[in-house]
Amino acid sequence: MNTNKISRRNFLKNTSIAAGGLFVSVVIPASPLVEKGIIEAKASDTSLNAFIHIADNGDTTIYCGRCEMGQGISTALPAAVADEMEADWQRVKVKQGDADEKYGPQGTGGSASIRIMYQPMREAGAKAKAMLIAAAAKVWKTSPENCIAQSHFVINQLNQQKLGYGELASIAANMPIPEQVTLKNKSEFNYIGKNLPRHDQSEVVVGKRIYGVDVKIPNLKYAAIIHCPVLGGKLKSLDKSEALKRKGVLAVVEIPRFDVPFGSIGGVAVVATNTWIAQQAAKQLKIAWDLGKNANYDTQEYKKQLVNNVEHAGVVTAERGNIKQAFNEAKHIVKATYTGGHLSHAPIEPNASVVWVQPHRCEVWASTQSPVDIQNVLGQYLKRDPKEIIVHVAMAGGAFGRKYKCDYVHEAAVISEKTGFPIQLIWSREEDMRTGYYHSINAQHIEASMDEQGNVTGWLHRAAFPSISTLFNPSLVRPTARNLDDINNHLFGIENFRCESGEAKAHTRIGWYRAVYAIFYGFAFGTFADELAHKANKDTFTFLNQIFDNNHNLQQQSDVQRAKKVLATVAESSAWFDRDKLPQGQGIGLAVHYSFQSFVAMAVHVEVKGDDIRVLNVDCAIDCGQVLNTDGATAQMEGAVVMGMSLALSTEITFREGAVVNSNFHNYPVLRINAMPNVNVHIVHSDFSPTGLGEPGVAPFAPALSNAVYAASKKRYRDLPFKPLAV
Amino acid sequence: MSQSIVINGKTYPIDVDEDMPLLWFLRDHLALTGTKYGCGSGLCGACTVHVNGQAVRSCVTPIKTLRNQKITTIEGLSNNGDHPLQKAWLENKVPQCGYCQAGQIMNAASLLAENPMPSDDEIETAMQGNICRCGTYQRIKKAISDAAITLKKEA
Ligand code: FES
Ligand code: FES
Repeated sequence: MNTNKISRRNFLKNTSIAAGGLFVSVVIPASPLVEKGIIEAKASDTSLNAFIHIADNGDTTIYCGRCEMGQGISTALPAAVADEMEADWQRVKVKQGDADEKYGPQGTGGSASIRIMYQPMREAGAKAKAMLIAAAAKVWKTSPENCIAQSHFVINQLNQQKLGYGELASIAANMPIPEQVTLKNKSEFNYIGKNLPRHDQSEVVVGKRIYGVDVKIPNLKYAAIIHCPVLGGKLKSLDKSEALKRKGVLAVVEIPRFDVPFGSIGGVAVVATNTWIAQQAAKQLKIAWDLGKNANYDTQEYKKQLVNNVEHAGVVTAERGNIKQAFNEAKHIVKATYTGGHLSHAPIEPNASVVWVQPHRCEVWASTQSPVDIQNVLGQYLKRDPKEIIVHVAMAGGAFGRKYKCDYVHEAAVISEKTGFPIQLIWSREEDMRTGYYHSINAQHIEASMDEQGNVTGWLHRAAFPSISTLFNPSLVRPTARNLDDINNHLFGIENFRCESGEAKAHTRIGWYRAVYAIFYGFAFGTFADELAHKANKDTFTFLNQIFDNNHNLQQQSDVQRAKKVLATVAESSAWFDRDKLPQGQGIGLAVHYSFQSFVAMAVHVEVKGDDIRVLNVDCAIDCGQVLNTDGATAQMEGAVVMGMSLALSTEITFREGAVVNSNFHNYPVLRINAMPNVNVHIVHSDFSPTGLGEPGVAPFAPALSNAVYAASKKRYRDLPFKPLAV
Repeated sequence: MSQSIVINGKTYPIDVDEDMPLLWFLRDHLALTGTKYGCGSGLCGACTVHVNGQAVRSCVTPIKTLRNQKITTIEGLSNNGDHPLQKAWLENKVPQCGYCQAGQIMNAASLLAENPMPSDDEIETAMQGNICRCGTYQRIKKAISDAAITLKKEA
C-alpha cells in the first residue's frame, strides 16, 4: 500500500466571526484519489478546512464536508469534533456542507474520510475548546489553567462558576487561535469509539430524510432520459413526434456525448410535468443510434480473451528475488485462473439531481460523492468558473462509488440550460443498469512454487482487466503498474515474485465500485491460498500463518501481525477448530484481506446441497485502528457481507452487441433477505490511527465462500459470480 | 366526474392521468417523497404503501384502481414516528442509507397486521420483495421480531 505518505501537518488556518458565533477551520491533507494515484494532485487540494458554529444560545452546528451515503460519516466525524470540544451531543446539529474548498477534500471514496479527516477534525474541536476556555478565563479574569470544559460549559475550578458555550461563543471568536493543542486520551473519550446513534435515523423512519431524488423547488420540471447504449456511439436519427403529442410533455432535448470523465455518455431526454409522463414519453421516442467502435463488445467472448491473456506472458510490472530458480527447485507447482464479471453498483436510489441553469447562476442539488467534480464538469460545459456553480450535497440513497461520477448532473444541466426550466432528472432503473460505470471484468492467473514443507517459494501473478484509469486515459490497453501495486505489496510478501499485466482494452466506462480492485485481488489471493493449503496437505489457518511468518519484509511486520490477529479471531469465534464435527455437506472457509489500510478476516460457514449454496453464518473480524463508532463499524461489515455475497453468488453485468443485457433487479439479482446469513462482527481494538471501513469488508467474503464450499463439497469455484444467471 | 383518493386521512381530488401509478402522484403532485422509486417494476419494494392496510407496490398501482380507497404512506403510519416498528428500527439502528427503509417498514407493518407473531421464516418470506442494497437485513429481521413482541405486550 502506498497510501500513508500524506502530511499530517494540520493546523488552524483562520477563524471568522459569524453572526454571534464561532467558526473554526483547519487545514487538511490531500484527497484519497490523489493518494491512490487515480487522479493527479493539484496544488489546491491541500489548502482546506472544516467548520464549527456555536450560536449565542449554545446550539452548535458541525458541518460535515464529506458526503453521506449511508456509511455514517456525518455522525462519526462530527462526533469526534464534539468529543474534543466537550460539546454536548444533544446540542449538536450536523449539517452537510455544500461544495466548498473550505471543507477540505469532499470527494468521498477510497474509504478515506476517517483516515484523512479524523485528526484535523479533532484538532478543530480541541482548538474551539481552547478558545472557549480562554474566553471564560478572560471573563473571570483568571488563568485558563484554572478552567475546564465539560458538556457545553466552561467551569472555573477555583469557585465552580460556570459559563455556557452559547454565552462564550462571540468572545471566544476573538481569542487567538492556539498554535498547538493537546488532544484527549482514549480514556477520556465521550463519543469516539462509542456506540452513538446516527444523527439522522429518526428522520429516515418517518420518511422525512431528503435524498437527492426528493428535492423540490418552485416551477420544477421533470425529465427522463434514454442513453446511447454503447460507449462511443451517437444519435443517428430521432423521431420525437409521438412523445411530443403526449399531454404534459414540454420538450425533447438531445444531449450529445460530453467527452470528459464524468460527462454524459449521450442521450435523449424528455421534459414533462411529472416523472411518470417523462418516462412514458421517453419510451415513445423513436431513436436510431450509430453504435460506433464498441458495437461488438461481448463480455462472454471478452472474458475468454482475458483468460487467454493471463495464461500467456504479459508485460512485467514488478519483480523481486529469483522466481525461475524457485520454480526449478519446487516440490509442487500449482496454477489457477480466476475471473470476475462487470458489476453495477445499483444503489436503490437511482441517479438523481435537480439543476437550474440561469444566465448568471447555476444551482445544483444532488446525491453525490464528489460535489467538486460536479463543479468542474459543469464549469467546463457551461464555460463558467467552477467555483460559481453552487452545489448542495443531498443525502445519497446508497452510492457505492457510482455517485462519484455525476454524469447525471451534467445531463440535468444540459436539459436546464436548453429549456430554461429547473430540472429534476431521475434515471430509470433500466438506464442505471445499462449505461453506468462498471466494475472491471477481470482475469488473474497465479502460479506458485512450494517446497517439501509447504513453504511458498515463488509466486507469478498475472492480471488483466480494463482499468479505471481508462476513464482518464482511454488509450491505455492494460492495467498500469500502479493498478497492480496491491498485488506487489500483498502481505503474503512472497520472496521470489513476478507480476505481469495482461492486455485488456476498455469497451465501456469503468468506474470504481465499493472495494474496487480489492474485490478480485482478494478473491484470487484468498482462494489460491486455500488451494495451496490443500496441495500442501495443511489446514488453511495453519498454512496462512506459515505464509505470514515467512514474510521477512521489515516494512510489513506490523501489518502481518494485525492480519494474523484478525484471522485468529475469526478462526476462534467460528466453528473452525471444530469443523470436523460439522454435519455432512457443511464447511467453513477462511480468508483475510488487507485493503484501504484496514484488516478484515472472515470465516464463512456454508451448507451445500447439490448445487444449492446456503450461507449459514459469517464471522468477521476487523482491525481499523481506533474505531470511531462501534455500531457504524459493525453496520459496514454487515453491509459488506451482503454486497460480497451478491457479487460472489449472483450479480454480473453482461454485454452483447455492445450493450448491457441486464435491465432491472429480476436479471441483476442482488441479495434478498431470505438468503441473509447470521453475521457476527468482532472488532479487534488497536491503537493505530483510524482507517476506513466502507470498502475493506467486501474483499474477503468471496474467497472465504469459495473455500467454504470446497470444504463442504470439494467443488471449487474460481469464477465470480459462482451462479451467474443466464440473461 | 371528480374522483378522489384518501391519503393519510386527507382527501385529494384525482386530477391527473388516471393511468399514473400512485407513486408519482404522491411524489410529484403531493410532494410526499417518503415513498421511494427504486425500480418502477414491482421488484424492489422501495415504493411500498398501504391500501386499506395492505402493502402494495405503488409504482405499479395505477391511481384509477384506488378511487375512494384509503392509502397510508410512511408519513402517515403513525402520528409521532412512534409505531412499534419505527421504534424498533431506531432501537436496532437499522438504516444505513435509509432509502429502502420506508418500504421495509410499510411492508413489515402490513405483515404484523396479518401475522402478529411471525417466525423467522415467515419474516423472510414476507420481506423478500424488499431489497436493501446497503445490506441491513439482519437488523430488519431483529427489529420486526422486537416490534412483534412489543405489540403483543401492548395488546
Ligand atoms: S419502485 Fe416499486 S417495487 Fe421498486
Ligand atoms: S438502507 Fe440503503 S438500501 Fe436499505
